[in-house]
Amino acid sequence: MPLQRYSGVGLRTGSIDDDRWERSRRIDWLDMKRVASARVLVVGAGALGNEAVKDLVLSGVRRLDVVDMDRVVRSNLNRCVFFREEDASKRSLKAEVVARRAMELDPGADVRPMAGRVEDLPEGSWKRYDIVLGCLDNIAARLHVNSQSFYSGIPYIDGGTRGTTGKVQVVLPPSTPCLQCAMNRTHYRTLELRHSCTGSDVTFFQPKIAAEITTTAVIAAVQVREAIKVLSGCGDRCISHVAHYDGLSGRWEELEIPLDPSCPNHSAQNQMC
Amino acid sequence: MSLKVRVRNAESGATVDMELEGENTVDEIIEGVAGYWQKDAGAYVIRRGKKLLRGQQTVVEAAILDGDELELIPDPEGGC
Repeated sequence: MPLQRYSGVGLRTGSIDDDRWERSRRIDWLDMKRVASARVLVVGAGALGNEAVKDLVLSGVRRLDVVDMDRVVRSNLNRCVFFREEDASKRSLKAEVVARRAMELDPGADVRPMAGRVEDLPEGSWKRYDIVLGCLDNIAARLHVNSQSFYSGIPYIDGGTRGTTGKVQVVLPPSTPCLQCAMNRTHYRTLELRHSCTGSDVTFFQPKIAAEITTTAVIAAVQVREAIKVLSGCGDRCISHVAHYDGLSGRWEELEIPLDPSCPNHSAQNQMC
Repeated sequence: MSLKVRVRNAESGATVDMELEGENTVDEIIEGVAGYWQKDAGAYVIRRGKKLLRGQQTVVEAAILDGDELELIPDPEGGC
């Protein structure tokens, strides 16, 4: 066994340091059993998806599905912890690379890639998840994930970035406002416009948006922390609606979203009740 | 009914004064200031204090008052 020295006293590492989750278990509100048994869907294996999957696996999530239809390109490498030059050269599928490298972090985790469009997931498949994290880059896919999660009654944690700003929205159906409640005409104008950072495989329409790792890491970390709180039964301590982050000033601000009575998700929910 | 509000650009700190009618909508305010500042295409929201305003609401419905200060903030949609 390795010998540690502290203040001149020799200490031997014991079983306490053989336990992967020993430090996590010291956080009193964290329900590690629940986190380990939860089934989590991460939609998007780009920058936010890389960070979110890394944080989820290191947080003790063992059952994780990752869906993305894109392939790795070299311009992803400034902000995607799991991607390598060889992945860009081979144009590997992002979901497959993320799943493979995440299981290197924790071989006990079962991370399954789903290479394809999130819109193609069978409707019945959503209910098997305990929580969904949105790591997307376009409004159309966000609306799809938002409504599927909402109708399935699954908590949805959405993240978004734009340069050094970002946001995290927590949707706990049916009580909280959903993503659609916060949308206005500017969202619908860009609905079909894909904010691609990679380019060639997609219909393209507008300049690529700025993206860097520190903002990505902050936003994804908060998404995962909110997810862990929900899974641990601390949903009442989550961001209540949406939190906006300004990386230049270093400030977070939590903003209230009024529930939209004409939102199709909430009105359908009311009809079901 | 007409009232004046000041809208702040969260990204630049610039402000612009707008004269509004009660039936103007939040969507119109967003598009007006986004156009004035020649913002990139993309999603934006308007906040008053700690509350985001719904796009379809009119000035009256959103209870916007003479002298209010609003802020235009980009709604970050990226993540790839």
